[in-house]
Amino acid sequence: MSKVYKQVPFAAIVPSPTVANEGMVTGNWRYLRPVVDKAECTQCKTCWVFCPDACVNMSADEGVSFNLKYCKGCGVCSNVCPVGAISRVPELDFEE
Amino acid sequence: MPIKKRGTGLTAVADAWQLADIDVTASYPIRPYTAVMAEVAKRIANGQMKCEMVHGEGEHAQFSIAHGASMAGARATTGSSGVGVTYAFEVYSPIAGGRCPIQALVGDRTLDPPGDFGSEHTDCLTLRDNGWIYGWAENAQESLDNSLMYFRIGEDPDIMLPQIVAMDGYFVTHIAQEYEMPDQEQVDKFLPPFRPQFRLDVNNPVIMGPQIEPEMGPPLEWDRNVVMDRVKAKIAAVTEEFGKVFGRKYAPFVEEYMTEDADMVFLLQGAHAITCRSAIKYLREAGYKVGMCRLRWFRPFPDMALKQILPKFKVVGVIDTNTSYGASGGGGVLLVETRAAVSELANKPMIQGFTSGLGGETITHEEFFKMAEMMRETLRAGRIIQDSTWVNFNDYVEGASEVKAAQQEVAQTKE
Repeated sequence: MSKVYKQVPFAAIVPSPTVANEGMVTGNWRYLRPVVDKAECTQCKTCWVFCPDACVNMSADEGVSFNLKYCKGCGVCSNVCPVGAISRVPELDFEE
Repeated sequence: MPIKKRGTGLTAVADAWQLADIDVTASYPIRPYTAVMAEVAKRIANGQMKCEMVHGEGEHAQFSIAHGASMAGARATTGSSGVGVTYAFEVYSPIAGGRCPIQALVGDRTLDPPGDFGSEHTDCLTLRDNGWIYGWAENAQESLDNSLMYFRIGEDPDIMLPQIVAMDGYFVTHIAQEYEMPDQEQVDKFLPPFRPQFRLDVNNPVIMGPQIEPEMGPPLEWDRNVVMDRVKAKIAAVTEEFGKVFGRKYAPFVEEYMTEDADMVFLLQGAHAITCRSAIKYLREAGYKVGMCRLRWFRPFPDMALKQILPKFKVVGVIDTNTSYGASGGGGVLLVETRAAVSELANKPMIQGFTSGLGGETITHEEFFKMAEMMRETLRAGRIIQDSTWVNFNDYVEGASEVKAAQQEVAQTKE
């Protein structure tokens, strides 16, 4: 019996995802976690624009938060933050 | 009306790009490619061409820019030479695997060392396993015609593959010659606008080149393999249609010259074919029944055509203007491919390799005569005397092996 492969669309071009992909959870790649200092944050949305994986959430009440299930810890948000409000903390410093 | 022009392979390709109304070209200078970049820049400045020219900071960026432009739906071109071709190496497979049909012009050039500027096919041949389709043009006219045919084949919705219009550096890229620039109306009839099924579009967002799951890899690569077979049929159809529209008829895969009664042939690609034809005229006068097969395509390799053509002959002398150190047979890439193409035929000819024309050297008449003489010795012996011969380095004449053995013995006694 021949092996059955997953169907692959032309050139692997797929519609942009609208829901989280459970088949590719990338949060466990991260060793430095982005942490935002809400007192410093001006909610300018620069990090939200630059995050390559759309892992920055913005809300009027909560301000900036990160989707840690998928954030790979690349640090772009921290680098682009104009007021230096995002620091990168080693994962081992966290309990969970 | 088509215009008679005097120009080079590079102005001819600039003409093709102008006629094809390209949207984007990505540039980075390296000889001999540079001249097409300068030519296109001039035409944009003069208002002759309406196209965006983006200058990369190196060839890796240059090919990536063309890749991105193609994703956005542009007809995009780029090009390079020699070490520039190899500097961009990482991006060739993603462009082909992403099915972005950009067109690159490669005026070939030696790699380092020797780092000279001369023609050698090695740079472009190193890309052979990356899914691009390409072949060598022998003159300016064929460069222009290939460029138009390649757009048509590569952008076909059934194909969608990037192409390289390859040509011998300087011999084709820089020597002024006569050619005909076709009429815009003819080109519009032959080459429809580029309308890819997928493109970057904010209203219909897609991910191109996503991180796929491991089990998706093999079927994706199978698709890339299958399309290469489809290209062959497309080449045959498009080459024929090109002949009808423009009146210039090309053999789809292999051009044969004086092969009707030949018992031995030179097999090569590119501009050295021109010298080869004139050498054959002299050789014929001297009684050699020799002809020539010129490959018009390297990828996909014209194996089916060669299976039909080569059994007619007794000896095939494959001329490699490239190096592939340590390759089977000790010659170049064409020797390996040609032998493999016919290896399973019962009536295959004897196939020997010649390495010549390296470092931008012309393959002279005398060298063609020498090769013909060695092929005749193979014919007389009825067996391959030497798999691969580097012309002027280890030529053989009758009894050469005995002479060489004697020389080596003498050398040992001297030590």
